[in-house]
Amino acid sequence: MSESIIHRFLNYIEIVGSLTVKLAEGAGYYFALLIESLAWIIVGPFYKQPVRIPSIFSQMMTIGIAACPIVFILSFSIGVMLAIQMIYNLKTFGAESQVVVGVALSITREFAPLITGILIAGRTGSALAAKLGTMQVNQEIDALRVMGINPVRYLVSPALLAMLIMVPILTFFSDIAGLLGGALYTGVEIGLSFSAYVDRTIAALMVGDIMQGLFKSLVFALIITLVGASNGFSVTGGAEGVGKATTRSVVLSISFIVIADMIFTYFLNR
Amino acid sequence: MQENKKNVAIEVNDLVTHYGPRKILDGINLTVSEGEIMIIMGGSGSGKSTLLRYLLGLGIPTSGSIKLLGKDITKLNANEMFELRKNMGVAFQGGALLSSMTIGENVKLPLREHTELNEKTMDIMARMKLEVVNLGGFEELMPSELSGGMIKRAAVARAIVMDPKLMFFDEPSAGLDPVVSAELDDLILRLRDAMNMTIVVVTHELDSAFKIADRITVLDRGHILMSDTVEEIKNSDNERIQSLLNRRPSNDMINADEYLSRLTGM
Amino acid sequence: MKINIQQDDNYTTIGLDGAVDLSSSSDARKNIIEVLKENKNILIDLSLVSYIDSSGVASLVEGYQIAKKQSLKFGLFGVSDAAMSVLKLARLDQVFPIYNSKDEYEKEDV
Repeated sequence: MSESIIHRFLNYIEIVGSLTVKLAEGAGYYFALLIESLAWIIVGPFYKQPVRIPSIFSQMMTIGIAACPIVFILSFSIGVMLAIQMIYNLKTFGAESQVVVGVALSITREFAPLITGILIAGRTGSALAAKLGTMQVNQEIDALRVMGINPVRYLVSPALLAMLIMVPILTFFSDIAGLLGGALYTGVEIGLSFSAYVDRTIAALMVGDIMQGLFKSLVFALIITLVGASNGFSVTGGAEGVGKATTRSVVLSISFIVIADMIFTYFLNR
Repeated sequence: MQENKKNVAIEVNDLVTHYGPRKILDGINLTVSEGEIMIIMGGSGSGKSTLLRYLLGLGIPTSGSIKLLGKDITKLNANEMFELRKNMGVAFQGGALLSSMTIGENVKLPLREHTELNEKTMDIMARMKLEVVNLGGFEELMPSELSGGMIKRAAVARAIVMDPKLMFFDEPSAGLDPVVSAELDDLILRLRDAMNMTIVVVTHELDSAFKIADRITVLDRGHILMSDTVEEIKNSDNERIQSLLNRRPSNDMINADEYLSRLTGM
Repeated sequence: MKINIQQDDNYTTIGLDGAVDLSSSSDARKNIIEVLKENKNILIDLSLVSYIDSSGVASLVEGYQIAKKQSLKFGLFGVSDAAMSVLKLARLDQVFPIYNSKDEYEKEDV
């Protein structure tokens, strides 16, 4: 009897142990991938293997410009939603007019980077995983390697650069869309004029608030690219494997984004 | 006499490889001379595809050496390997064209990445190679618009665009009808004759192997059974080679104890 | 690779000497195009070529097409067996005017 308890206990330890190893392996792989893609961006040109500018731009187009409408719609809705909630809550204190400060801070520090990150994880991170996974299955990655074209330099570095540029820009765009949503609802609900709303927002916001959001979005961009790329590269087992990797990359990126957000919020607000 | 003086293009010594804990290749020794067409044959699971992966430098062997054009690829650094790869062309089984690019861009890709040639020169080179594989005028199409045989030929065009010294084919006739497959065989012979390429072909198609091979290497369960000329292979009295040649399923004697323990897992 | 350019009465000879490969073919191309820009008939002497790859052949193809458009005479001379087999692979032996001697080129009209 006691032997079986010990046995079970050891089993648990083993599971925890192997999970830790897997996690460390995963983290190590992400880190190695990050270092390698950054290294190609910096030293590639000296080895006559530069990261191609046109491919960065085409990635920027698909990540950024194409995502604008959906970022706008979601951020605008979040802005309206925040205004509704805050006006409702602040009513109890008779402080409805403070809604402007609440919306401004929540949007720029929290919701804009978060919603943009989640959206891009679903849109671009999954696309990256699916693309690399399909290429892996079709031996296109092998083909690149035997042609002397490093897959990380050719596929990951441009995506990483494009993400690092576009995600903060989209986040800023999301800031504006969210504030606009808040302004419109506040105007209708408590009759605050648009120009007064803008004035108060500008007065309430400090550069640091916006920078905090943008800094977070940079980290999210790293997470999305690295998780998407490493899941794509590690695909085995044909079309089914591609599907699994795509799903896993979205779930993992969103989880990492939310956790990272919590950690950053904690440290940035001490 | 002249035969003996030929330079060695590929030399594999005591190659041992594992996949996880399983040993896949065991003590492979192989040499291919310059301008020779070597066929690697074997049933499925014989390790022939694995051998090709290692010849292409896509895996790190457990032990042994693989010399391509005199350089041991198990010891090269990234930069030396990069230079060596410019002299290697590979036609993968499924073509492995990049699906996001046109056929022309696919063929031009190695030139774009490795040379500073004028755009016009690259265009002409790519079209010339497409003509060689009888795909003239197809450069604007996407890979998805081509048939399997055409994709394979386009992949050959891409593989030869840098005029490599070494050329590798993975199952060139798999999934092709006999006529297209015979065309590819002819193409392989023409490439060797015109450019004195050293060519390694992995295949299980006997007809094609006998037609183009200078020598054939027969792999079985990770070992080389025989590596010799077509005539010698045909006349071999090795039972497993004969069963491969005559398409007979192998009927090994069953070891009752071992078999039982395999079935029951005990 | 070295390039020797020799002017004759009504044509220019471009002699390529050495290996015409990825690193040197752009040089050959530039010289060929320059001569054609001056509206001169052209003869490419390949007799000293040790090796020519597809980038070299591509430069010749481009030169020939430009010459044709300007109704200039274009010819290859001294094509070695090795070079010939490269041309034959893309069936270009049936396209280029290939001469066995300078005399043969001089006598022939465009």
